[in-house]
Amino acid sequence: MIRLATDVGGTFTDLVGYDERSGELFTAKSLTTVDDQSLGVLDAIAVAEAKDGLRTRDVTFFAHGGTTVINAITERKGVRTALVTTAGFRDVLEIGRGNRPDLYNLQFHSPEPFVPRHLRFEVRERLDASGQVIVPLELDDLRPIIARCQAEDIEAVAILFLHSYANPEHEILCAGILADALPFATICASHEVSRQWREYERTNTVVLNAYVQPIIQNYFEQLKRSLTRRNLTCPYYAMQSNGGISTFDQAVASPLTLVESGPAGGVAGAARIGTAIGESEVLSLDVGGTTAKCSLIHGGRPTLNVEYRLEHTRIAPGHAIQVPVVDIVEIGSGGGSIARIDDRGVLIVGPQSAGSSPGPACYGRGGLKPTLSDAILTIGVFDPATFAGGSLHLDKQKAKEAIATIAGPLGLAIEDAAIAIIEIAHASMINALKLVTVQRGHDPRDAVFVVSGGAGPALATRLGRDLSVKATVIPPHPGIFSAWGMLAAEPRADFRSTWFAALSTQALADMSVRFKGLETEAVAYFAKGEDADIRFTYQVEARYRGQEHGVFTHVEPDDDVRGFTERFHAAHERAYSFRLADAAIEITTLHLEAVLNGAVIALPKIEPTGSSAALTGHRNVYFGGTRGWISCPVYARGLLAPGQFIEGPMIVEEATATTLVQENQVLSVTDTGILIIRETSVEAE
Amino acid sequence: MSPATLCVDPVTQEIIEGKLMATVDEMGIVMARTSMSPVIYEVLDFACGLLTAEGELVAQMNGITLFTGTFGVQVKALIAKFAGNLFDGDILLSNDPYAGGTHACDFAIVKPLFAEGRIVAYAINVAHYLDVGGSVPGSLAPNATSVFQEGLRLPGVKVVRSDVFSDEILNIISENVRLPEIALGDLNAQVATVRVAARRMAELSSKYGITTVQAAFANLLDTSEKRSRAAISLLPDGCYEATDIIDGDGVSATPIVVTVAVTIAGDSIAADFTGCPPAVAGPINCARGALQSAVKTIIKAMVGPQAPSNEGWFRPLTVIAPSGTIFTAEKPSPTGWYYEGSVHASELVWKALAPLMPSRFSAGSYSSLCVVYISGTDKSGQPFIHIEPQHGGWGGSEHRDGANAVIALTDGDTYNYSVEVIEARFPLRVKRYGFNVEGGAGAGRRRGGFGIVREYEILSKDASAYGSFGRTSTLPWGMDGGGSGTANVLQITPADQGEPQSYGRVAHIDLKSGDLLRVVTGGGGGWGDAQQREPGLIEQDLQNGFLTEAEASALYGYERRIAG
Repeated sequence: MIRLATDVGGTFTDLVGYDERSGELFTAKSLTTVDDQSLGVLDAIAVAEAKDGLRTRDVTFFAHGGTTVINAITERKGVRTALVTTAGFRDVLEIGRGNRPDLYNLQFHSPEPFVPRHLRFEVRERLDASGQVIVPLELDDLRPIIARCQAEDIEAVAILFLHSYANPEHEILCAGILADALPFATICASHEVSRQWREYERTNTVVLNAYVQPIIQNYFEQLKRSLTRRNLTCPYYAMQSNGGISTFDQAVASPLTLVESGPAGGVAGAARIGTAIGESEVLSLDVGGTTAKCSLIHGGRPTLNVEYRLEHTRIAPGHAIQVPVVDIVEIGSGGGSIARIDDRGVLIVGPQSAGSSPGPACYGRGGLKPTLSDAILTIGVFDPATFAGGSLHLDKQKAKEAIATIAGPLGLAIEDAAIAIIEIAHASMINALKLVTVQRGHDPRDAVFVVSGGAGPALATRLGRDLSVKATVIPPHPGIFSAWGMLAAEPRADFRSTWFAALSTQALADMSVRFKGLETEAVAYFAKGEDADIRFTYQVEARYRGQEHGVFTHVEPDDDVRGFTERFHAAHERAYSFRLADAAIEITTLHLEAVLNGAVIALPKIEPTGSSAALTGHRNVYFGGTRGWISCPVYARGLLAPGQFIEGPMIVEEATATTLVQENQVLSVTDTGILIIRETSVEAE
Repeated sequence: MSPATLCVDPVTQEIIEGKLMATVDEMGIVMARTSMSPVIYEVLDFACGLLTAEGELVAQMNGITLFTGTFGVQVKALIAKFAGNLFDGDILLSNDPYAGGTHACDFAIVKPLFAEGRIVAYAINVAHYLDVGGSVPGSLAPNATSVFQEGLRLPGVKVVRSDVFSDEILNIISENVRLPEIALGDLNAQVATVRVAARRMAELSSKYGITTVQAAFANLLDTSEKRSRAAISLLPDGCYEATDIIDGDGVSATPIVVTVAVTIAGDSIAADFTGCPPAVAGPINCARGALQSAVKTIIKAMVGPQAPSNEGWFRPLTVIAPSGTIFTAEKPSPTGWYYEGSVHASELVWKALAPLMPSRFSAGSYSSLCVVYISGTDKSGQPFIHIEPQHGGWGGSEHRDGANAVIALTDGDTYNYSVEVIEARFPLRVKRYGFNVEGGAGAGRRRGGFGIVREYEILSKDASAYGSFGRTSTLPWGMDGGGSGTANVLQITPADQGEPQSYGRVAHIDLKSGDLLRVVTGGGGGWGDAQQREPGLIEQDLQNGFLTEAEASALYGYERRIAG
């Protein structure tokens, strides 16, 4: 039976299908339809039907990733939303944290809130930090608010009361009354989406959740109707930002969990590849058209970001939201990134991108500015004729002309200017890759480096060499890897709650009880009965007394004080390079990760071929001034034999990507067709 | 060959610059997440940087503007003091306000970074310590009259030798501060950051060689200087003056008149503070290093606000001021609240230059960080100190209303404190945190932004507060015909329903359970004639409750049509 995934990206909608009986994998692409993304999904399905004979009634599993949520937020196209909050605090959403990261800008403003002041309403009520009621909820205050919401045609209401993470009773009561009084509006209370403290971050979380909820609800309903009409009826799943999947209904209840849906698919895929080759430490890099995204898988599991901020930059505070998002560092270097010389005379690559229209100069669609893809083509890694399976003919002359515009001012030959563009992109990728590893206490030498995206495999082996990774790994179908990864994701939910306790035997007993409570919630969430096969992973955020920020540490619910203490010291030392052996330890947050064990995509074994069958020719590649042009053998990936070893320099081509193997590296092919590249002179431990 | 004459190709240059920024950012991440004191972790009152072997700043993290120009002065002072006596594995500590520092609470940790047996750079981390001893908890008595009341001073000592902490120095610190566990925790965090910098610089030196790295430093400084000069050249030559009033020094409320004359000549700029009064009795004085920083902040805002900061930008600048003034205080003048003084040096230059380049400036802001210290004992009898800078209203600019509730010029990437976190930690309950709408903001074609009101109910039986608020009577200035902003004030309403008392700079207020402490920050000044404000914007302010109909009529001459 067939497992199908569709990933809606900025330009293309990718489809990957996997036939569980035959092990056959098929792929399709369509243009993304911006206003209603479900149309592009149906187009991709139609392509697969025509090309590979996909029969929708054979589909037993459907996973979907898209950008509906993040687009609604960044384009501010959510619904008309109101906020109901504790008396005295309606401006918290607009004040935010009041920081000015754009230090020297005397005209700096905080980001605009998603609910304007006149739609933020106050209710008398108050809890203290332990959840005790100080002032009961004043129900009379709700009446005028209901009237205003009706008059203003409010479509969604967010509710945030202070300290609701400790006791949600006022929010529950208020939500019930508003739901009765405003039957056409979505009502969303903060404790339903976050049980963590910090009122601004939780307010923003519940507001954005409410703001997009009706939109994602409509979208999924539309998609479900269309799929049903095409006889594609099976459980539907949405790709979540935490690297797992959820049912459409679960996603609608908590739409913000979809905010980084696409990139999370790639991370789930990288984790799956790690499992396939027996590696639990994986550094993943996905090089798209506009950006490159990197992430770390530690102990076989994606790392989550503890303080995710939408639209955050060096100089913009962004919008903090408290949902589990895979820790992804994104930088403005992708295949379409434009190279230019700035007013200092320095060469810059990105963050401006030529996108897909006009695209890099070599696409011949009117782009005149040199991009990273033009540089890769110019040094000979890409073949103009076979690129993208021959569907897009690249114009090498146009690429050279574009690069000449910067080569002249830099006083470089064209191929050296191309190398310079690659070097700059390379350096910023290295900085980002170090941010997710070294700067967070992980050693890249312990990790395998899984690289995907159209331009990724062309750059991978140099990056891997600079980082001294164990091996560089090119997964199957690197150009549509996010969609592939969605077939590797399992149903997952994260339960995170603020809970404050000084470490003691009693506290650990309480912790154990609280984890049991979260487990019960998880069982209810998956709705597969008491005996559902769920994997639980337990983490706590803890800190030395006096610190504010903590470190997430893996624990077991039956840890004793000594065992817990050692785990925490070790985690702190890994993250921050020191431990305070005598300092008291405090627990601030519990985090239960619950994964429902399910079937994930298997990697079918590839067929043996003759050892030379894959060699399709030779091509000259420029390796920079000292090495010059070198003739490299070119292999077709689909014809490589399992167990085959090939020494670099060499090139591997496939429909969605081109892999370059450097001198003094050797490529090996696993029995499932994964490419593993290692240095030939591996130093002893 | 000297580094300055050595050429670095533009590709290597860009890669090295990227690595420098990545390194200072990494130092900042380590610091923010591992420090013990709330001043650092919640309000991020610290900064990290990298400097050349000569002590010229080449990279600085996004932190606060107060440290814009202090790093170079501090490191140069330490270079002079330790000439020839620094070895790989040494780390220096200094908190001397007069040797380029700011106030005794700021501990600078400096590590010389070695490659091939010689110093190639310095890494610095400066952080505000919660308490460094002295006459009051938090070490900043608003009425201090000498530096000896402001805590322990360690003007340049080796806190680490050959990678080993000096037990003597740690002992001196822990015996002289009120919260030694926090202080030593912060020291550990600071040392971790400069060690991170050492590792990253070693990677850079081994990959490119120290000659290339040092040449890249020189190029970076020269390029920034060129860009700075180019921007200054676009401004009309001339002398531009401004005066302002500082509302008291903490010892007396007497207004203090300060003045500047800024001269632009070709591609150079000079700020002359001659004529400012001698150092005052109270602690709002600043030393010369902080004055430099204050002026550099505005120059950077004018010539290249978004570009990474380094010393090159400031080469076209000369700061002139005789010694011993309020902006160039010397030992033993108190400097605990130096930023309450130095912000006025910034604002003078800002006010003088704003008309020349409206695209980069705004009208006057609430200016003062309005820091309040609340201390006492909690339910379990443990001492606590809660320190909080407050956010406020900024001035309008040519095309946009002023910003509501963002942090004052002297800070930067500085967060407000979460109400839920405060209440879990301290015996305080926040009754209100919102815009100071009733206080208003400067009217104008583009009005000022609003300040905040933050009300604390005291839940401790035994507490006290102190603080130092500026701009309590001299209001934020309007520009181009815009109205003045509004005042900052600290108010206490006793539990027994007495009348609220108002304060500005106050050394001690006794507090008991049920008392209400109210922080009010002002709105910014307006830009342009209020009568020219578009009706649509006035309607929007009415709808959002930023303006009453009476105010709309009085300030803007606007009469609301009755909604249909």
